[in-house]
Amino acid sequence: MLESFQIMQWPLLACLLLPGLLVYLGLHIVEREIIFVDLSLAQVAALGTCLGILMHYEADSWESYALSLGFTLVGAGIFTFTRTKSHRVPQEALIGIVYVVTAALGILLLSRSPEGNEELRRTLIGEVLLVTPAQVLRTFGLFVAIGIVHWFFRDKFLAISFDPDGAAARGLSIHWWDFAFYAMFGWVVTSFVQIGGVLLVFSFLIVPAVCANFLAEKLRSRLVIGWVTATLASIVGLYASYSIDLPTGAAIVCALGLALLGTIVATSFRKAKVL
Amino acid sequence: MKISLCFLFPAVLGLAVVTASARLNVVATTPDLGAIASAIGGDAIDLTVLAKPTEDPHFVDAKPSYLVKLNRADALIEGGAELEAGWLAPLLEGARNPRIERGKPGRIIAAEGIALLEVPSVLDRSQGDIHASGNPHFLTDPVNAGIVAAHIARAFADLDGAAAGRFAANERKFAGELQSRLAGWQKALAPFAGRPVVTYHNYWIYFGHRFNLPMDLFLEPKPGIPPTPAHLAGVITRMRADHLRLIAVQPYQNRKTAETVASHTDAVVLDWPSFPGGPGTETYFEWMDFLVLSTAKAFAAQP
Repeated sequence: MLESFQIMQWPLLACLLLPGLLVYLGLHIVEREIIFVDLSLAQVAALGTCLGILMHYEADSWESYALSLGFTLVGAGIFTFTRTKSHRVPQEALIGIVYVVTAALGILLLSRSPEGNEELRRTLIGEVLLVTPAQVLRTFGLFVAIGIVHWFFRDKFLAISFDPDGAAARGLSIHWWDFAFYAMFGWVVTSFVQIGGVLLVFSFLIVPAVCANFLAEKLRSRLVIGWVTATLASIVGLYASYSIDLPTGAAIVCALGLALLGTIVATSFRKAKVL
Repeated sequence: MKISLCFLFPAVLGLAVVTASARLNVVATTPDLGAIASAIGGDAIDLTVLAKPTEDPHFVDAKPSYLVKLNRADALIEGGAELEAGWLAPLLEGARNPRIERGKPGRIIAAEGIALLEVPSVLDRSQGDIHASGNPHFLTDPVNAGIVAAHIARAFADLDGAAAGRFAANERKFAGELQSRLAGWQKALAPFAGRPVVTYHNYWIYFGHRFNLPMDLFLEPKPGIPPTPAHLAGVITRMRADHLRLIAVQPYQNRKTAETVASHTDAVVLDWPSFPGGPGTETYFEWMDFLVLSTAKAFAAQP
């Protein structure tokens, strides 16, 4: 037990500290019905990393981080200006297109680099088991800072996600606040992808938020339910990864999947009782 | 919590004493090193091999058990020469085991004492996945296996003096068997000296060097870079012009690429396991037997 704690303490801390903000942002994302925007932004960021590799920067150097952040900002700009009311071109379609085109571009770029395959795999599944203390603390610092900004301007951010028409009627600059939202969201996603990979970041964003939407209506209760779900699933996933010796990131994703399954079963029983 | 810890502590200490007086905990990064370590250590060591025989040794995915094994290890055997550069360092950082730090007797770097081939004069990433200290796949030459076996035996004796005699005896047995088998392998391949084998990755250069089989044509345009149509067309042209008829692929490489090239050149695709450890190739000697005999058979079957 002592030994397992020693080995798993930083992955555990990463999975306890970092999803807090992801779950909150996930509620925004689910409400805006742009579920795949995180995959898309992560892929745009990965394209920046690919370019960095081609320019011979190490994947974890600041140059490569700056490149992926720069690309994320461009992605944030794209998603800001494609938020349309027109239903003839749903934003989800554009998000999907950005995802596949940047993924294909990444493959083209990395076909000239020997580390290509390894890097593409790493973006997808991450290495949460091998996270370093410095990585966890640095990312936690960033998340706290962005969390404070969100808390400070919560009226604006909540308005543009949950009631965009009302916000526009009150004279709020939707484009500006949208860009601020996507830019910070992209930064958060990029930082967490370096630790946990695309699969894990998607799961921490979306699964707890969906579970919460099944169980509650008020934002505050949804947030609490989301946090509890993320925490329990992380602990179960990490424990399973250690005791059955499974790849860590994938084990947590599956634990989150089980949590959702449990939630659906529980709510359908509740509905049956009400009927 | 405190009370339970107090109860645990004597048990943990007891456990540590028992394992210390028992067998050496050895971790090897790749199965070829594992096979040699097992021949030397016998039942005086507890051996764990990280990479699977079918896995690409350049990229190995981390699992929690790897950290546990590395954390408890008395000795770590790595190939060195940057073979494990992409994955071993973060694992070691996570395992936090001072006994196997670089420079400690518990850290055994097999490449030390080996004359490496293809040491680059200029380092340039544009040349593909080039290893700065030379080609790291040196255990495809059985003579190098003998050097590594002696190295491992010395290191084991330093770590566990009580079993030093057993390690030395096992090493003498390994060296003797190597000597007699090497003569047989060389005899089996002698009729085909100078006949090239096309390989997917620049993995077999030491094998080719030992048995005089040129291996300078690869399906990869540069080490680590997936085959491109233009490069494969060039390979096919050269194979036709020089009548090259053997293409060797390893388990983790794309066999379809080799089959496509073979269908255009009347060549035969040979499946060469990268490492000992598969069925019928458990030990280093069985593995080398398989490589030599399958190659000799394929050459003999050709016009």
